[in-house]
Amino acid sequence: MDEFAPLDCLLPSGKQRIGLVILNQPIDEQFFHVLWSKAKIRACADGGANHLYRLTEGHRESFLPDYINGDFDSILPEVKTFYTEKNCKMMETSDQDLTDFTKCLAVMVEEIKAQKLQIDTIVTLGGLGGRFDQIMATVETLFHAQKMTDLPVVVIQDRSLAVLLKEGRQHHLNVNTGLEGKWCSLVPVGSPCLTTTSGLKWNLGELRACRPQVFPSTQTPNTHTHGHPRGMFPSLHHPLCSIY
Amino acid sequence: MDEFAPLDCLLPSGKQRIGLVILNQPIDEQFFHVLWSKDNGDIPGTEHSGKGQTGLNAKIRACADGGANHLYRLTEGHRESFLPDYINGDFDSILPEVKTFYTEKNCKMMETSDQDLTDFTKCLAVMVEEIKAQKLQIDTIVTLGGLGGRFDQIMATVETLFHAQKMTDLPVVVIQDRSLAVLLKEGRQHHLNVNTGLEGKWCSLVPVGSPCLTTTSGLKWNLDNQVLTFGQLVSTSNTYEDHDPKEGRKPVRITTDRPLLWSMGIKPQ
Repeated sequence: MDEFAPLDCLLPSGKQRIGLVILNQPIDEQFFHVLWSKAKIRACADGGANHLYRLTEGHRESFLPDYINGDFDSILPEVKTFYTEKNCKMMETSDQDLTDFTKCLAVMVEEIKAQKLQIDTIVTLGGLGGRFDQIMATVETLFHAQKMTDLPVVVIQDRSLAVLLKEGRQHHLNVNTGLEGKWCSLVPVGSPCLTTTSGLKWNLGELRACRPQVFPSTQTPNTHTHGHPRGMFPSLHHPLCSIY
Repeated sequence: MDEFAPLDCLLPSGKQRIGLVILNQPIDEQFFHVLWSKDNGDIPGTEHSGKGQTGLNAKIRACADGGANHLYRLTEGHRESFLPDYINGDFDSILPEVKTFYTEKNCKMMETSDQDLTDFTKCLAVMVEEIKAQKLQIDTIVTLGGLGGRFDQIMATVETLFHAQKMTDLPVVVIQDRSLAVLLKEGRQHHLNVNTGLEGKWCSLVPVGSPCLTTTSGLKWNLDNQVLTFGQLVSTSNTYEDHDPKEGRKPVRITTDRPLLWSMGIKPQ
């Protein structure tokens, strides 16, 4: 059983030890400060550095990322110069088949191992807005992430959070932090998902869920999804995208 | 073979006759005016003016619930010139003053409270019915909004595009900000005309519902009978193959065995 509180990371008193990734999207200032001050490792994917640079004007030396990676086609020259001069690791990762976000996570997973950091969750700011193909690419990265690490990778932008739930587990999502909004959602990106839930306003039974619809939900103390089918349908085991 | 120019609808001189849906997201003003004023075969200055070639009202425009708020705000000062044919939804987003205004102007207010379908899906269902009932000549349904804001609602837009394929053969195109998305049907050879001049530099093919066995031409990174599937291969940040500027781009050809989501960038104006 996987117990997880998706919004714990945004609680100043939250328990999760986090790694932080900043993507190339406007940064919510309040979330940023809570996450930055908790994070044990912090990185920007390419143009994410531009947003960090802008947001921390006046105190930039207090907000230096551990590394910035990417093909560097989005980072502004003055931003790149600034962080280079401050000795942030600049990692040009020019693999054309993987996005800057995927590569940033790959580096973070390596660094967590190499430095033996105690991390519970990787939290990403950005990724759910802007260019539509890049929103889709974020979801793709979450699939890759499951092969790279067992750590949950959470994506937050504006007032939405998304996380990909692994197949074959019973997930217990703690939604009692007090930060939960009124809606939540389960979306079978990429393939049908045989799903069971409790704790939602509209739960899923033992349905053959072709494309489950999005259900608005009221707050409930305990929510779980369970991707284990009764019958022998191994092809229906598939990660399920959970959105808050 | 399905020939289609996704961005034709944003060309003032474009050929497609469109139905317009406005969702609850900020409206791009420039796109709005082009789409709202499309004449759909209108012959201005004649007895047919405003009625299209069939003699019937050629245009159809609707708001899904809170889409009416954005229409109301954007058209301040000229609201009577921008009245939708209907506004549908469970009316939990439309503001009271907006609802009152359009009701008083005799826009059809259609409360559709089915909890299993979104306002967007219901709006399309009504539009398909109205197009049939009024015998409108429509080539494409164009939607403003749907690709931004709450993440579950972006996903719900994609879900609506699946439902739409069961409701109508008309392409349903979704536009917000500088992105356009359209769900390509399975089992067809699609020829996408990307020569309108409005194409931005990126395009993308995403197998949102299931793995898609895909072949393409005309892209910088083509697929050759390959399976697109999350976790293995998803085409994002793709672009068009190089072409002779004098000749224009060749159509992008796509075949897929399952519904496949095409999206593309729109050049900033």
